[in-house]
Amino acid sequence: MKTDLLIIGAGPAGINAALTADAAGAEVILVDESLQPGGQLRQQTQLFSNLPKNKKKTRGTSLNNHLVESLNASNVKVLSNHAMVGSYLNGNIGVTDGFKTFEIHAKKYILATGAQEEGKIFPGWTLPGVMTAGAAQILINRELVLPGKNAVIVGSNDFAFEVIKQLRICGVSIKAVVEDKDQLQSEKQDLLSDLGNITFLTNSTIELASGSGEVEHVSIRTPSGIKELEADFICISNGFTPILEPFEVMNCKFTYKEILGGWLPAYNMNFQTTNSNCYLAGSAAGITTLGPILLTGEIAAWSVLEELEFISPREAHNQKKECWEELMTLENNNVFQKRTEIIADSLLQDNWNPKSYFTELQGGQIHG
Amino acid sequence: MQIKKHPILGEKFTEEITFYFNEKPLKAMKGQTVAAALMRNGIRKFGVSRKLFKARGLYCANGRCTSCYVTINGLDHVLSCSTLVEDGMNVHSNESDPDVGGIYN
Ligand SMILES: Cc1cc2nc3c(=O)[nH]c(=O)nc-3n(C[C@H](O)[C@H](O)[C@H](O)COP(=O)(O)OP(=O)(O)OC[C@H]3O[C@@H](n4cnc5c(N)ncnc54)[C@H](O)[C@@H]3O)c2cc1C
Ligand code: FES
Repeated sequence: MKTDLLIIGAGPAGINAALTADAAGAEVILVDESLQPGGQLRQQTQLFSNLPKNKKKTRGTSLNNHLVESLNASNVKVLSNHAMVGSYLNGNIGVTDGFKTFEIHAKKYILATGAQEEGKIFPGWTLPGVMTAGAAQILINRELVLPGKNAVIVGSNDFAFEVIKQLRICGVSIKAVVEDKDQLQSEKQDLLSDLGNITFLTNSTIELASGSGEVEHVSIRTPSGIKELEADFICISNGFTPILEPFEVMNCKFTYKEILGGWLPAYNMNFQTTNSNCYLAGSAAGITTLGPILLTGEIAAWSVLEELEFISPREAHNQKKECWEELMTLENNNVFQKRTEIIADSLLQDNWNPKSYFTELQGGQIHG
Repeated sequence: MQIKKHPILGEKFTEEITFYFNEKPLKAMKGQTVAAALMRNGIRKFGVSRKLFKARGLYCANGRCTSCYVTINGLDHVLSCSTLVEDGMNVHSNESDPDVGGIYN
């Protein structure tokens, strides 16, 4: 199979990149190992603001439906239930549908393979009923199945609180939120106040999850002694980290930024990795929120379109400038700061500022 | 436990189907994964670990952790969280490592 652009991962980043490239006339194949496109947005029922292009506040699930509808109306060739499993010596990507494996030759690649959840280990963590917070979210919002009735939540970040809200409206009772640090990790006061009456146990850890063949009982070590709870499931919310294997396969170099999720591929202001044919977007380029995830997909697509001469350098410059400026305003400051450090490294500079970079570039170097 | 009417998403599945877990007939909704179909029926232990035979079930729901293995229509080690349930499907709990080579031995 041959194409201009092959995108791996049909989450919000991959879909937005595909739509941008398709609209400019490039031939695009979008591959995803899941049964349906949408990535992790498929189960996010919470409301999102801070979206690009003045998009109004919307539920993740509604935005997902909109993205998938646009995808179906486009010329993008979508291969669901197909996984990237390797690369060939000639640089082509190997894809399988579980029965046959074949190669796809593309002029450029965008890897938008997303993030995975970090685990947390305690005695009994392998017992059925212990799951990631994301797994519980998938069960209630994609599968319409309750994981149990009484939950203990491990971790107190934004995601933990979103999932608590979603579990509660489905009728789950939250027995306790267990946080090993000395204070709650989410800084969003509105999220916290939405939660109302709830037992927070800081400086606390799970001593043991037990039961016969599944979770029935949870012992928690707190500063005031062991607390025993009857609970039938435990959700672990310990943050996200970019999925790296596809980038290892493509021989990309990595860098480490704790705030962005730990190890991640190094990239430049075009979201191009150290493998010049290989770009990236979304959570793979650092853990962030939905607005920036969509924008990174767009920047990667504009860069590929420029490289393949579907658009002029001037247009590419204007589009990327606009996206970077929006990214700067929409993204959490600390996250954005770390992102610019990665770009600065790619330029062997001490720092990088998109505003001055694009303005200076406009001073004469851009043709077309 | 099935959520009949989701407070935000409403009703999503319409068609009820029958599948078998360790020969026992169970109901599920068309469009659900095998893991969700089992959990809807209160089954959370899908099998045991390969060495110490400890209970295992759904953990990541994303096809990454391999904690949710079951045998489907005779095929061992299938990820139940990433496979859709089908009418008449035969699902068995994962009790040990598969016989490598299986029928081709
Ligand atoms: C379980 C889970 C729940 C989450 N919930 C939230 C939430 O509620 N709120 C929030 O802000 N963030 C959440 N996140 C963070 C999430 O990373 C972002 O919200 C967002 O979905 C990232 O978009 P993306 O397009 O970069 O990647 P994703 O949406 O993760 O999409 C990546 C896609 O790539 C596919 N893929 C990966 N590897 C391969 C391969 N080798 N071959 C083919 N396809 C592949 C996957 O199937 C997936 O569809 C969650 C993450 C996870 C893992
Ligand atoms: S639950 Fe993790 S792979 Fe299925």
